[in-house]
Amino acid sequence: MLNRMSTAGRVLAYVTLLGASAITVLPLLYMVSLALQTEAESLSGDPVLIPETPMWGNFLELFERAPFANFIVNSLVVAGAITVSHLLFDPLVGYVFAKFRFPFRNTLFLLVIATMAIPFFVKMIPLYVMMSNLGWLDTYQGLITPFLMDAFGIFLMRQFIQPVPDELIDAARIDGVGEFGIYWRIVLPQVKPALAVLGVFTFVFQWNEFLWPLVATSTEEMRTIPVGLTLFSQEYFTIWNLTAAGAVLLFLPTALLFLASQRFFVRGIAITGMK
Amino acid sequence: MANRPRRRRDGLSRRYTRTAYLMLLPAILFFAVFTYLPIGNLLTTSAHSGPQADVFAGLDNYSRAVSDPAVRHSFVITVIFALVTTVGAIVLGLALAMLLDKPLRGRVVFRALLLVPYLTSVAIVGLLWRNILDPGLGILNRLLTALDLPPQQWLITHPLETIIGVMLWQHVGYAMVLFLAGLQGIPDVYYEAATVDGAGPARRFRHVTLPLLMPTTLFVSIISVITGLQAFGQAYIITDGGPANASDLYVFHVFNVAFEARDFGYSSALSFLLVVVILAFTVVQLRYGRRNEVQH
Repeated sequence: MLNRMSTAGRVLAYVTLLGASAITVLPLLYMVSLALQTEAESLSGDPVLIPETPMWGNFLELFERAPFANFIVNSLVVAGAITVSHLLFDPLVGYVFAKFRFPFRNTLFLLVIATMAIPFFVKMIPLYVMMSNLGWLDTYQGLITPFLMDAFGIFLMRQFIQPVPDELIDAARIDGVGEFGIYWRIVLPQVKPALAVLGVFTFVFQWNEFLWPLVATSTEEMRTIPVGLTLFSQEYFTIWNLTAAGAVLLFLPTALLFLASQRFFVRGIAITGMK
Repeated sequence: MANRPRRRRDGLSRRYTRTAYLMLLPAILFFAVFTYLPIGNLLTTSAHSGPQADVFAGLDNYSRAVSDPAVRHSFVITVIFALVTTVGAIVLGLALAMLLDKPLRGRVVFRALLLVPYLTSVAIVGLLWRNILDPGLGILNRLLTALDLPPQQWLITHPLETIIGVMLWQHVGYAMVLFLAGLQGIPDVYYEAATVDGAGPARRFRHVTLPLLMPTTLFVSIISVITGLQAFGQAYIITDGGPANASDLYVFHVFNVAFEARDFGYSSALSFLLVVVILAFTVVQLRYGRRNEVQH
């Protein structure tokens, strides 16, 4: 587009962007500061911007006050298992819809895609009842199974697998490669970048998920980090420095992934928007 | 559709059909058990009442919902919440995207900084802002006092506006990234042609940018309305729905009817009503958006 910008326009653009970035980032930096404050500092009516001496011990104390190690393990198991399941099934289903012709294909595809229009909270109550009947409340399977696959992921993978040339698949068939081998060894390698987007986004979203782990767990030991941390802060609502330390730990994996490749996240979001 | 191949290689095509169904089997089971069955159960439960939700009540729960003042209030503020956050995300997201679409040094860094809140959990967003906005120990009030301004109790005086602000803080970056991708998809020739025709920046925005961005705007708006109508953590963590239900977002209200009052029949009916509303909003937006879409 028009590349020339007046100096005034340039200054205005920078001021706006600096202001907006300050609004998004300073609260998060303040969270890090809170995490390193003493309890007295974090409760002072005269809030502290930079703690006198950084209290790295807060991160250890967190583990003594709450079963934070459990929270971390639970979050890793749940988000990890769901991510693996998505990586296994979303592309497989997407491949079938992209490359096979069979009776009721369009009907089945529509039934899968229609679930995108069904927000999770609608299923919250019936799933709670179902898990309760199965005795799966407060278990890993109860936290994991409702999210094993996702219509959006399937749709995304179908869009990426469609352009893979049919000749490649037919040639492999002639060479005697089994049907699953074709999927695994021929099709999947063609869509590695899309798989990476699917995996990272699934993990980050499940790592952050709040509503279902809140509903489906009852003992402190089974909580994931977002739920454990929130209920911890309700219980000890005055211990802000430790709450902030927990929040820092919760954000750490995502922040590291984002630092490693922010372009990847930007492109991933753009892909989901473009379809 | 499959006539020609069927005649020529009947056995082969049947084998592929079997393979296809075999590969689809886990998905068919999953969506049947974890989506369609729960929706059927939701509808059944919504027609029952009582602590075990085992007394048939027909449409009673629905008529109760329609005339329940607490539900109406919750519904109205949730629609306001969703619409204001959507308009806000579109306006702010598009404005920031247009700045970042210009050849500025450091735009990649700005883009990253503006996106960061979107990647945090609602638990972080909620707890962090509850602290920042705290009337006693929050940093924001200290800033005001330092500037000789009177301290504020936003969470008490303006709870809904405050959680709208927090929601925007988290979600504007997402809209911005989508708009940026949309802007980069508009070919330069359109702007050049408009400029040759004597269109200034305002008219280029009005007659080139906006119409060609319509698919992106539509997508952002649909996603944002759905996300807003389903917002839960903001009320649960920051305001507890209060004060006096002023920020009693719909899903938070349903959550309490289900898990505090343990009225599964009524809460199921309330859930289903919100699905109908979400679908209606989506259909209206799609209609409106399609009508205003242009091809290029």
